[in-house]
Amino acid sequence: MVLEALFNPYYVDIVVFLIIYILLGLGLNLITGYAGQVSLGHAAFFGIGAYSSAILSVKADLNPWLAITLAIVITFVISAILGLPSLRVREDFLAITTLGMGLIIQSFFKNSSITGGAYGIDSIPTPSLFGMKLENMSYLIFLLIVMLIGIYAVRRMTQSRIGRAWMVIREDDIVAQSMGINTTYYKVLVFAIGGAYAGAAGALFAHKVSFISSDSFGFAVSATLLSMVVIGGLGSIRGTLFGVSVLYLLPEFFRLFQFTFIDMNYLDMYKMMIYGLLMVLMMRYRPNGIFGKKGAKKVMTKRLHKKKAVKGGEHIA
Amino acid sequence: MLAQQLINGLAIGFVYILVSVGLTMVYGVLKLLHFAHGVIYMVGAFSAMLGMIYFHLPFPLALLLAMAVSAVIGMGIERFAYRPLRGGHPITTLISGVGVAILLENFFQVIFTSDTLSFPETGIENTIYHLTQSVSITNYKFYIVIAGVIGLGLLYAFLKFTKMGIAIQAVAQDMRAASLMGVNVNRVVSVTFMIGSALAAAAGVLVALNYNSLFPSMGSIPGLKAFCVVVLGGLGSIGGTVVGGLILGLVETMSDGYLSGMVIDKDAIAFVILIVILLIKPSGLFGKKVEKV
Repeated sequence: MVLEALFNPYYVDIVVFLIIYILLGLGLNLITGYAGQVSLGHAAFFGIGAYSSAILSVKADLNPWLAITLAIVITFVISAILGLPSLRVREDFLAITTLGMGLIIQSFFKNSSITGGAYGIDSIPTPSLFGMKLENMSYLIFLLIVMLIGIYAVRRMTQSRIGRAWMVIREDDIVAQSMGINTTYYKVLVFAIGGAYAGAAGALFAHKVSFISSDSFGFAVSATLLSMVVIGGLGSIRGTLFGVSVLYLLPEFFRLFQFTFIDMNYLDMYKMMIYGLLMVLMMRYRPNGIFGKKGAKKVMTKRLHKKKAVKGGEHIA
Repeated sequence: MLAQQLINGLAIGFVYILVSVGLTMVYGVLKLLHFAHGVIYMVGAFSAMLGMIYFHLPFPLALLLAMAVSAVIGMGIERFAYRPLRGGHPITTLISGVGVAILLENFFQVIFTSDTLSFPETGIENTIYHLTQSVSITNYKFYIVIAGVIGLGLLYAFLKFTKMGIAIQAVAQDMRAASLMGVNVNRVVSVTFMIGSALAAAAGVLVALNYNSLFPSMGSIPGLKAFCVVVLGGLGSIGGTVVGGLILGLVETMSDGYLSGMVIDKDAIAFVILIVILLIKPSGLFGKKVEKV
C-alpha cells in the first residue's frame, strides 16, 4: 500500500517538479537573497536552459547527458551577459530591467525558428543510464542527488569568500568597493551561477516533460519564484526550501483531495491569489521572510527610521 | 500609408500617455515604481462594463464610474500595500506591488474567467471618418485622442492653479520639506494615486471600447509598457511622459507596418527601448538624474 503510493507516477511527478522549482529557487536566492540583485526575469534563465538542452538533443542529436551539461554551460555564459545591466542599474530599476529582458527572451522563444516558434519543441528524449531509461522513480532519485549537490554547493559558496563578498555588495555597493571587493566580477558571477542553477532546472524540466513551449517561461513563473523565495526568507537556504515546498505543495494538496468547496478549474487562480496576498502581507509584517535574518539587513533599520518621520508629518498637518 | 500609420500611432500613443501619467506622478512623489498600475487599467474597463450591464448607464457615465471606482482602488492599494512600507527598502514596496497586481488579476479571473469578453453595446456606432482618400480614423480612436488631450489639459490646470496641485509639486521636490511647510503628505500621495488611477481607467475603458474586448490580464502589458514610457520620457517628468508615449505609439505602429518577420513581438520593442534607455541615458529625454542608475 505504502509502496504503491510511493511509486504512483502522479506523486512522483509532483516531487520531480518540486525539485525543479527548488533548483530555480536556489539560483534566485543566490542572485536576490545573497547578492541583493533583484531579478524578475528568472524564468528567462529557466527557458534558456530548457531550450538549449532541447535543441541540442533534438536538432543536433546529442546524447541527453551531454545536452544537459552543455545547456548548463550555455546558461552560465548567457546569464553572465544578461547580468551586465546590474553593473549600471540598481534595486527596483534592476527589477524592471530584468523583467524586460525576461519578456524579450520569451518573445524570442515564441518567434524564432530555432526554438520551434509558437509550436515549441517536442519529443525531447529521456536520458538513460547503463541502458536503463530514467523515468519516474529513477529520474526522481537522480534529481534528488542533483538537488543535494546543488544545496551543498550553495552552502559552500555562501560560507566562503565569494558568499561574504556577495553579502557585502547586498548591504552596500560602495562599502564593498572601498573594501577592495571587485563588485563587477562578483555581480556578474552571481548572475552566471544563479542562471546556471536555473539552466540546470530548465534542462531537467525539458527532459522530463519532453515538450516545451514559450508559455512555460513567462512572467508568472518569475513572479511565483520571487514570491516563494521572498516568503521563505531572502538569503537563507532553509527559507528557500521551506518557501518553495510549502507554496508549491499547498495547491497540489488541494488538488489531491478534491475539496468540494473549491472549484478545481480555478485552483491555479486561487493559488496565484494566495501568493499575491502573501507577498503583500509578508512585506508588511515580516519583510525578511520566515527564515530571513533580522537586523542584518537595512530593510529593517531603514523602516524604523522612516516611521518616525511619517508620524511627525501627520502632526504638522 | 505613412499618414495612416501616424494617426494610428497617435491614438495608441495617447493610450500609453494616459496610463503612464499616473506612473510618472507616483514616481515623482514617492520615488516608487508602482507595479500594480496596469491592474487599475483593467479594473477600469471591467467597472465600466459592469456599470453598463447592471446599472444601464450611458457610456459617458460608465466612463466616469470606471474612473471613480479605479480611483478608489488605486487609493486603497496605496493605503494598504504601499503606505505601511513607506521609507523602507524600495524592493519591499516593489514586491508588495507585484503581489497586489497578481492578487487582483487572479481575483478578476476567478470572477470573470480568463476568457475575452466583449464590451457591451454603447449605442455609439463605430464609424470611420475619411480625412483624405487613403487616410481615415475611427471615431473610437478619435475619442482616445480627445480624452487624452482633455485629461492632460485638466491635469495641467490642476497642477498649476490649485492648491493641491502645487502641494503635489512641492512633495515631488522634497517630501520632508513639504511636510514641514504644513503639507499633508499622506493626502497628497492619496490624491496622486487617485488622479493617476482615474486616467489609467479612462484609457482602459476606451481601449476596451476600441477593440471591443476585455479580459483580466489586459492590463499587464500596458502596465509594463508604461514603465518604458516613463523611463523614455524621464522619470517624474509629465511633459517627458507625453513625448515618450507618442514615441512608443509611433514606433510600434511603424514596426507593424514596415518591419515584419522580426524575431521578437511588437510588444517586446517597448522593453528593448526600456533597457537601452536605462543603460545609455537613464535620465530619459527630459528627466533629472536618477541616483540608482
